[in-house]
Amino acid sequence: MISDLTTLLFFPGGLSMLLAGMAFTWLDRKLLARLQNRLGPRWFQPLADMVKLLAKEEVVPAGVNRLLFVGLPVVALAGALTAVLYIPLWGLPPAASFPGDLVVTVYLLSLLTLCTGLAGANSGGRFSLLGATRTLTQLFAYEAPFLMALMGPALVAGSWQIALITAGINGRWLLFTQPIGFLVALIGLMGKLEMPPFDAPEAETEIVAGALTEYSGRGLALFYLGRSVEMVLGLTLVAAFYLGGLSNPVAFLLKTLGLLLFIAIVQSLMARLRIDQTVGLWWRYGALLVLLQWLVLWGGRWL
Amino acid sequence: MTLNLAQSWQDALDKVRTWARLNSPWLIHYNSGSCNGCDIEILATLTPRYDVERLGVKLQGSPRHADVLICTGPVTRQSKDRLRRIYEQMPEPKFVIAVGSCAISGGAFQGCYNVIGHIDEVIPVDVYVPGCPPRPEAIIDGVVKLLQKIGKQ
Ligand code: SF4
Repeated sequence: MISDLTTLLFFPGGLSMLLAGMAFTWLDRKLLARLQNRLGPRWFQPLADMVKLLAKEEVVPAGVNRLLFVGLPVVALAGALTAVLYIPLWGLPPAASFPGDLVVTVYLLSLLTLCTGLAGANSGGRFSLLGATRTLTQLFAYEAPFLMALMGPALVAGSWQIALITAGINGRWLLFTQPIGFLVALIGLMGKLEMPPFDAPEAETEIVAGALTEYSGRGLALFYLGRSVEMVLGLTLVAAFYLGGLSNPVAFLLKTLGLLLFIAIVQSLMARLRIDQTVGLWWRYGALLVLLQWLVLWGGRWL
Repeated sequence: MTLNLAQSWQDALDKVRTWARLNSPWLIHYNSGSCNGCDIEILATLTPRYDVERLGVKLQGSPRHADVLICTGPVTRQSKDRLRRIYEQMPEPKFVIAVGSCAISGGAFQGCYNVIGHIDEVIPVDVYVPGCPPRPEAIIDGVVKLLQKIGKQ
């Protein structure tokens, strides 16, 4: 009972995850700043942002469904925090596991995007509505290739259970045997987190702040926290699947940070894609290439 | 005793809140009729050369996300309602910085038929940054003055 509670509240769920999320957000911003030849934010920046947002007034605009407006950020963060339990955080075996938890985890991870979209549609402003449309369009664009890319390792291990997949990979670096899947998974993750080349849903120069335009204070803080947690989760998942399964925490952390560096470089290199370009990229190239890789994998098994 | 405890809790919480506020001022920028000179200086302040992100400053698109409204120019009759609406859309606690001589006194546009006057005829202003236009250093100095003011409150 007590150990269950610690699992849920402190490690690996809850508090430690929020702190890790903020640390990764800081690192991402710092790397981006260094790549742009700036000094970048101080180490406590995300913490200060979150505390400030939580202490601010929350404005509920007229004409929205109050329950949805207040509840959606909570659901979004809760979804991300629930997914923590099934993911091999820091290279340790996941806290909970059951057959087929890969699919559940991927859906828990898209809960954040879904909630963002609903929140935008519920807010009533035209910018939020436009942002919501773009968020959901993007969800439909990257979700299938992302899931398909994560299925590559699952095919190799012959299981849908994250614990069994990571065990089945057993130290092999699938990055070299399935490079397409790796790239699609990592770039799908960037789409999920709405990072620069795929930040059309929150394009500041066009639609103010996208789906979250009307959110202030607590709701905004919870959405941001959910996104930070999701960044850690996604990077962990990709590192565990493509960079040699479980290993000791230090090596695993280094791999995750390597992926973060890669993401930061891509962010600083690319300009924003239009929403139709994003969708085209995923369906025309991402999905088809992963399918091709599946065929190769499947064919290789019979040869 | 319990009252004291509650009081010290309150104080500690207030300290944390003020610390967070001081370290993460998010700006929103509005031009209520300036000649664009001041706006260009504000944009120059946000470039990598001055890198205000190291102070926690971020430019936000939505008034709902912002803490500090940074206004330039005199208030024209047309933009008066919009300025007030943006101010009212910002969540508490909110602060206003008026940048440029025009924002302080009407400046070059004083007495024009289409101009109401300076910013604080429409919304309360916390910090004034003089200059036509002020240099980026002066604008950063204005933000720092505002933070000192918040810290003292
Ligand atoms: S202070 Fe000078 S630069 Fe700024 S708006 Fe007025 S005239 Fe333009």
